[in-house]
Amino acid sequence: MIRRPMKRIIPSLILLVTIWACSSDSAGEPQVDPQPEPVSFERSEMLENWADNIILPSYQDFSTRLNTMNTIYIDFKSNPSEEQLQKLRDAWLDAYLGWQAVAMFEIGPAETVGYRLAMNTYPTDANTLEEYLASGSYDLSLPANRDVKGFPALDYLINGLATSDSQIVARYQGADQQAHFEYIDAVIQDMLSLTTQVIQGWEGGFRDAFVANDGASATASTDRMVNDFIFYYEKHLRAGKMGIPLGVFTGSKAPQTLEAYYRTTVGKELFLAATVAVQDFFNGKHYGKSAFGKSLASYLQDLNTLKDGAALDEIINEQLDLAMEQVNALGDFRTEIENNDPPRAMLLAYDEVQRVVPLFKVDMVSAMSISVDFVDADGD
Amino acid sequence: MKRNLFPAILLGGILLTSCSNDDDNNPIDQQVNAPATYSFERGGESTVDFNGQTTRLLMGGALSGALTDPTETAASLKAMYAHEAGVENFENPDLNTSNKNLKSKTAASADFYASNTADQFDVRADFDTWIDAQASEVFPRWNAAASPGTAGQIADGSSTRYVSGQGLEYNQVFVKGLIGAVMTDQALNNYLSTTVLDEAGNITDNDAGITAEGKNYTNMEHKWDEAYGYVFGLNADPANPNNDLGADSFLNKYLGRVEGDSDFAGISADIFEAFKLGRAAIVAGNYEVRDVQAEIIREKISEIVGIRSVYYLIQAKAILEQPQPAYGTVFHDLSEAYGFIYSLQFTRKPGTMEPYFSRTEVQAMLDDLMDDGANGLWNVQPQTLQDMAENIAARFDFTVTEAGS
Repeated sequence: MIRRPMKRIIPSLILLVTIWACSSDSAGEPQVDPQPEPVSFERSEMLENWADNIILPSYQDFSTRLNTMNTIYIDFKSNPSEEQLQKLRDAWLDAYLGWQAVAMFEIGPAETVGYRLAMNTYPTDANTLEEYLASGSYDLSLPANRDVKGFPALDYLINGLATSDSQIVARYQGADQQAHFEYIDAVIQDMLSLTTQVIQGWEGGFRDAFVANDGASATASTDRMVNDFIFYYEKHLRAGKMGIPLGVFTGSKAPQTLEAYYRTTVGKELFLAATVAVQDFFNGKHYGKSAFGKSLASYLQDLNTLKDGAALDEIINEQLDLAMEQVNALGDFRTEIENNDPPRAMLLAYDEVQRVVPLFKVDMVSAMSISVDFVDADGD
Repeated sequence: MKRNLFPAILLGGILLTSCSNDDDNNPIDQQVNAPATYSFERGGESTVDFNGQTTRLLMGGALSGALTDPTETAASLKAMYAHEAGVENFENPDLNTSNKNLKSKTAASADFYASNTADQFDVRADFDTWIDAQASEVFPRWNAAASPGTAGQIADGSSTRYVSGQGLEYNQVFVKGLIGAVMTDQALNNYLSTTVLDEAGNITDNDAGITAEGKNYTNMEHKWDEAYGYVFGLNADPANPNNDLGADSFLNKYLGRVEGDSDFAGISADIFEAFKLGRAAIVAGNYEVRDVQAEIIREKISEIVGIRSVYYLIQAKAILEQPQPAYGTVFHDLSEAYGFIYSLQFTRKPGTMEPYFSRTEVQAMLDDLMDDGANGLWNVQPQTLQDMAENIAARFDFTVTEAGS
């Protein structure tokens, strides 16, 4: 099941070291070389495909959506009506869905600016946000303010300020109008500015460095990207979007920690968009196109990686499909969690999402001889 | 396919080769020597740390006491069970500041529950339900006599037991249930699991002696110690713990009880030795030996749960067969049995990913125990207890007679 060369070094005095390797299912046949058989797969081609056909196009599309949202927000400012609010919400959701395609790429320029946490830390801290609205004094570039900006802050500002749309719009029409607009201005400008920095970073040199770093070591692009990819899947997609709100780790449900909490109907949509993006990345699908390039899936195919006799890349795709199918059959996340005790259907769907984790984190990385550089911190 | 490399190094240039993990008399064992006590050092400092387990054992002890304090409420007991850092649920201020709790470690092992969260929730709900029942059924009748169908107190020799209308002591069920759902599950199915021991770069780091950030132990060493802590975390001398078995109300206590049965004398030494040798094997980078020890521990700890289930069933049966059964004693024994049987679903059959009894099987047994009549344990028949004891013993390597006395 697992190919993992284990080397042990037993310190000693003088001595003769003899290496003898065996395989439990080909007993007695010595295999001297612990390395995987050489394969034709070129990591550089995969890195190129990732950078040019997935990562950069995803960022560019997201940037377009974000700018469109800003344009519609400017319309809303000049005419803060319920009708314009609805348009702003649609644009916000469109940008938020676009974000799901880039959230996993926390590497290079994105990592430098702490992009993911700056754009999407939830739940947003509504109390602090209200204080900032009242005082007009805040600096959104501070790390401690990650939970009062980005998409979740906008969620509160356009969906959560009050219970009815007329009351929400009233806040943008009354005496505090200016303070509210200034705050949204600051949030959106922060998002635009970070996004620009990330794209410029990729275009201004990181793309070439990323593709050129095509070796196999802990600091090579493939190893790092695979680690970031699995970390994202485990911590942000599985735990952040489902596990934490379900209370899987604490034993206490926490629906208030859902992504897009104030617009209850879209959390599931955001989850599915993120999972599609994960699957597309795994399969090397060109962003927004039907073509495929070199990928983790084709890497596994070239390595001829089998698990219990079946191709690992197919097992992973089938498990992702199953997870999405189960999630898709759910009602909206907030209702599932709040109205069911325990939220059994959503827990069963979560289990399918979880079952992908060891396929990535154990089977896939073993086949590729990539070391996982993070552990589940839930010890003690 | 698994390939292993063993650079075997011997004085004088002897060549030792070894293969195959199902070799009966594995010569690799000889490469690892366990120290006399559970003491391991790096750079002159101890590498053994299981403070999280000690904390949880103390929380369990406090919760156990609170469950028989009728001034507590369902809310206060649940808050203790799901403690949050800084909340004053305990008398011990160290427990109050701790960010640990029992609930988040209930049915929370990597092997059994990582992708089985629906069962995990059901198990946690069982514990919450027992708290609710204690507060709503038993506390209001604290100063009244129990009778069939009515909760209250009942004498058990010189002790007083507080039972439900069905004759069940929820506090016993809760505490004995924790032995399975927290201590056994965490130790056997989480910390001794290769999923956890070998996670991420644990093997590479352990081979290279790379310690966890800010710590003196490697991740793998620590995981093993955490399993140890759930068994020996409160003993006065944790490096040599078998002198004061019974240091907690959980596994340690019942390891002591089973050790005290001449049919099983030596079990505490076996478990201790296996922990010690497995830990030494980690230090030596010998994961074959480590995993053999993990299987021994799984078998022996599971046996404690099985033996005590049978023991209490048979003890209760003997009293029940007397002309004027002392129901208080029967109820107390069967409440313990109930909790131990519940705990069977967290045991681990060596060499498998399975418990000795599934959750479904456990529930069927518990239903059997309670359904001989309308009033639960007031109506239970000796034959029911005998059948159940035989059913349990049949899956283990002990007999009803050995366990029952």
